Amino acid sequence: MNWKRIFYPDLYIALFLSGAASAAALLVQNEFFTNLIIWIFFYASLGLSWNLIGGFAGQLSLGHAAFYGVGAYTSTLLFQHFQISPWIGILTGGIVACLFALIIGFPCFRLRGPFFTLSTIAAAEVLRILATYFKDLTGGSVGIQITAPPSFANFVFAGRLPYLFIAWGMLLVALFVSLLIEKSRLGSSLIALREDPDAAEALGIDTAWAKMAALLISAFFTSMAGIFYTQFVHFIEPYSEFSLENSIQFAMIPMVGGMGTSIGPVVGSFILTPLQELIRAWLGGRFLGLHWVAYGLVLILVVIFMPHGIVGLFRNKRIRLPERWHRFFAPVSPAKVSLDKGLVSASVLSHKGSLGEEGILLECRGVTKDFGGLVALSQVDLKIRRGEIFGLIGPNGAGKTTLFHLISGFYSPSSGSIAFRGEEISGLSPPHQVCRRGIARTFQVVKPFGNMTVLENVMVGAFCRDKNPRAAEEEALKIIAFTGLEDKAIFPAHRLTIADRKRLELARALATKPDLLLLDEVIAGLNVVEAEQVEEMIRSIRAQGITVFLIEHVMQSVMSLSDRIAILHHGEKIMEGRPAEVACDPRVIKAYLGDEYVLASS
Amino acid sequence: MASVLAQLILNGILLGGLYSLISIGLTLIFGVIRVVNFAHGEFLMLAMYITFWLNSLQGVDPYFSLLLVVPLLFLAGLMAHRLVIQPILGAPSYMQIFATVGLSLVMQNMALFFWKADFRSVESFCSTTSIRLLALICGAPKVIAFSASVLITFALHLFLKETYLGKAIRAVVQDREAAQLMGIDIYRIYLVTFGLGTACVGVAGALMMPIYTVFPTVGVYFVLTAFVVVVLGGLGSLPGAFLGGLIIGVVESLAGFFISPQLKEAIYFVIFLAVLVVRPSGLFGQIGAEELG
Repeated sequence: MNWKRIFYPDLYIALFLSGAASAAALLVQNEFFTNLIIWIFFYASLGLSWNLIGGFAGQLSLGHAAFYGVGAYTSTLLFQHFQISPWIGILTGGIVACLFALIIGFPCFRLRGPFFTLSTIAAAEVLRILATYFKDLTGGSVGIQITAPPSFANFVFAGRLPYLFIAWGMLLVALFVSLLIEKSRLGSSLIALREDPDAAEALGIDTAWAKMAALLISAFFTSMAGIFYTQFVHFIEPYSEFSLENSIQFAMIPMVGGMGTSIGPVVGSFILTPLQELIRAWLGGRFLGLHWVAYGLVLILVVIFMPHGIVGLFRNKRIRLPERWHRFFAPVSPAKVSLDKGLVSASVLSHKGSLGEEGILLECRGVTKDFGGLVALSQVDLKIRRGEIFGLIGPNGAGKTTLFHLISGFYSPSSGSIAFRGEEISGLSPPHQVCRRGIARTFQVVKPFGNMTVLENVMVGAFCRDKNPRAAEEEALKIIAFTGLEDKAIFPAHRLTIADRKRLELARALATKPDLLLLDEVIAGLNVVEAEQVEEMIRSIRAQGITVFLIEHVMQSVMSLSDRIAILHHGEKIMEGRPAEVACDPRVIKAYLGDEYVLASS
Repeated sequence: MASVLAQLILNGILLGGLYSLISIGLTLIFGVIRVVNFAHGEFLMLAMYITFWLNSLQGVDPYFSLLLVVPLLFLAGLMAHRLVIQPILGAPSYMQIFATVGLSLVMQNMALFFWKADFRSVESFCSTTSIRLLALICGAPKVIAFSASVLITFALHLFLKETYLGKAIRAVVQDREAAQLMGIDIYRIYLVTFGLGTACVGVAGALMMPIYTVFPTVGVYFVLTAFVVVVLGGLGSLPGAFLGGLIIGVVESLAGFFISPQLKEAIYFVIFLAVLVVRPSGLFGQIGAEELG
C-alpha cells in the first residue's frame, strides 16, 4: 500500500472540518452543541459507509437501516444476555450485518435494474417486523433500555465527551477506509461498473464480486454506527432502527454532499445535520411531518439541479486547474515516454496456457448463435494464428459484432466451440474471465467511463494485471502516451471527441495486456490522418507480439493492415484469404454490392 | 378442513385482485418509462383520501366517487410526471429512484400535515352485504374490487393492442429511438402512460376505501407488496402483474392462517428473493429483460 496516495486535499478538508468541530465542542462546553457535533460525525460516518456501495458503485440501497439495526440488536442482545462488551459486539454485529449483506447481495448483484434497491427496502422492513414479532428475544416494540453502569467496557459513559471522541474516531476510520478504497483497484472497479457495467466486465472486472465487497465493507461500518447510536441513546426499539426514514437519511447525506467521493458525505453531514436539527426543532414540534416534506423536496431538487452534490460544484473547477497541478500528481511525465521504449507488452509470460496446433491462438469451430428464430451466426469456423492481424469484414448485420460478443463472453454460442490457446472459453461467463485470460476487446459503440478521467479509464484496464495503483498508473500513462492521448490525460472521458473516444477504447483494452486484441471498428468514422495514426498504432501493437482481430468497414485500412481476411455474410463465413484474394473474389463483391456489380467486373 | 381451505383460497384470490389492481399501474409505468415509481403507493393514498373526503363532506358513495377520483388521479399523475419525472429521464436510474422517493416523502408528509395521522374509513351501500357462493362467503366490496381488476386488466390489454395510442406505447417499449423516428412524441407517450398508471391506482384507491382504512403511510404498506407482485410477474408485464397479484393474495391468505398474519411480509420477501435467484425475469417477463449481468 502506498500511503502517499491518499494524502489528497479531501483528507485535509475532512481533518480540518472535524478537528475544528471537536475543538469548538470542547471550548463551548454546551450539551446541545456537543450533541450536534456528535450527530454530525455520526451521520458523516454513516454517509461514508453508504457511499461505498451507493455512491462509488451506484447501487442504490434504501435499506441500510437493516445493517444498522442488525448490528445494534446483535450487540445489545449479546450484552443483555451474556454480558459481552459492546466493543466485542462491534465485531460480532458487523459479522451478522455482513451475513445479511451476503443474503441480499448474492441474488441481486448478478442482475441489473432496480432489484437491489427493492431487496434492501424489503430486508429492512422484514427485520423490523421480525424484531417486533419475537418479543421474548427483542422486547418487541417496547424495546430494550440499556441500564448498564457507566464504564469503558460497557460502552456507557456519564459525560458527552467520550462519545464525541468515539464518534470522531468512527468518522476518521470510515473516511480513511473510504479514501483507501477510492484510490485503490476496488474503487476504480466500482466507479467503472457504475459508469458502464459492460465495459467494466470487458476490462476484466468481476462486477458482481466488486459490488459484494463494497456492500460487505459498507454493511460492517453501518452496523458499527448502529451500535454507537444504541449506546449513545441507551435505547433500542424496532422502528427507530429499521425504518425506511433512517435508510433515506443515510443516503441523503452523500447525495447532498456529493456521491462517489470521499469528501462528499463529510461535507453533506456538516451541512445537512445541523440543518436537520434546526428544521426538526423548528417545524417538527409544531407541524407534524413538515420537516420530511422539506427533505423530500431537497431530494427532488438535488437530483434535478445538482446531481453531483455540493462537491460536484467544485469538482468541475478542479479539472480546469493549470497543467502544473496535473504534473504535480502524475508520477511519470507523459512526455518522457516515447513510442520505442518497449512500452506495450503482451502478457504471454504471465499465462501458462499452451498454444494449440501450429501456433493457433484462437479457434472457432462451428460457432452458431440464434436469437429465437433469427440465426445471427451459423457454423462459423475460424483460426487465428499468433502474431497475425486478422480482418473480419462483411455488410451490416452480417454477424461480425455478434462474433465478438461470443468470443469475449458477452453471449454464449447456441452451438459450436471457441478455443483460446487450445482451451475452451465459450462457456465462460461473465465476460471478465475471458479478459483475464488475455482477450481484450473494444466496443463499436464506444463505452467510455464518462465521469472518470482518461487516465482513470486506462487505469481500469491496467488494474486487470496489476493491483498496485502506482504501477497501474505508470502502465496507464505509458499507454496513454502510446495512443497519443497524453494532453487529455486529466480530462473526464465524456469531454472527448469521438476520435479520441475510439483511441481511449483502444488504450483501455491494451492496458489489460492482452494476447489477443479484438478491435470493433476503431477506424470507421475517423478522418484520413487520424485513420493513418490508428493504423500505425495497430501495426506497432502487433510488433509487440499482440495478435489483432479486427472488424472494420474502411476497406483501405483493412486491406493494408490485415494478413488475412474473412468475410461474413448473413451469418455465414463465405470466404477467407489474403487481402488481394478477398478483394477480387466475386462472392465478396456480390455480398457488398449485389449481382450486377459481379457481372460488370467480370 | 376442505371448506376452510377453499374459503382461504377464495379470500386470497379476491385480495389478490386488489394487489393486481395496484400493481398494474406500477408495472405499466416501469415497462414504458423505465422508472421505478416509489411514489406509487402515495398516489393510492391520495385516491383513498379523495374518496374519503367526497364521502364525509358530500356523502358520495365510494363507488360513485370513482367518476371523480380516476380523472383527478390521472391529472395528478400528469402533474407529477411533468414536474418530477420528466426532468430526470436522462439521469442514471439510481438518481431517478431518489427523486421518486423524494416525491413519496413529500406526498406522504403533506397528507400527514393536512389530514393528520388518524385512521379513517368509509361505509358504502354494500359494505355489509356478502355474497354466498355454494358454501363460501365473500364480502361484496371485495367481489366488486376483484371484478374491476379483471375488467381493467382486460381493458388495458385491449387498449394497448387495438388503439393507435396503445400501439404507440408498445412501440416505445420496444425501442425508444425507433419510435421517435417513426414520428411518435415519446414525451407525450410517457406523460400519458404515467397518467394511466396513476389512474389505475385511482380505481384501486376508490374501490379499497369500503374495505380498508386510510392513513398517510398506507401507501408504503401496499407499495411494498406491489413491488413483490411486479417482480414475481415480471417487471413491465401486465398479465404478470395480474397473476402475480393473485398468487401473492393467496399466499398471504394461507400464510395468515397457517403461520401468522404478522409474518406475511417476511414470507413475501422470501418469495421475492427466490424469484430473483430462480427466475429473475419473473413469470411473464421477457427473458433477458432483467438484464442478467
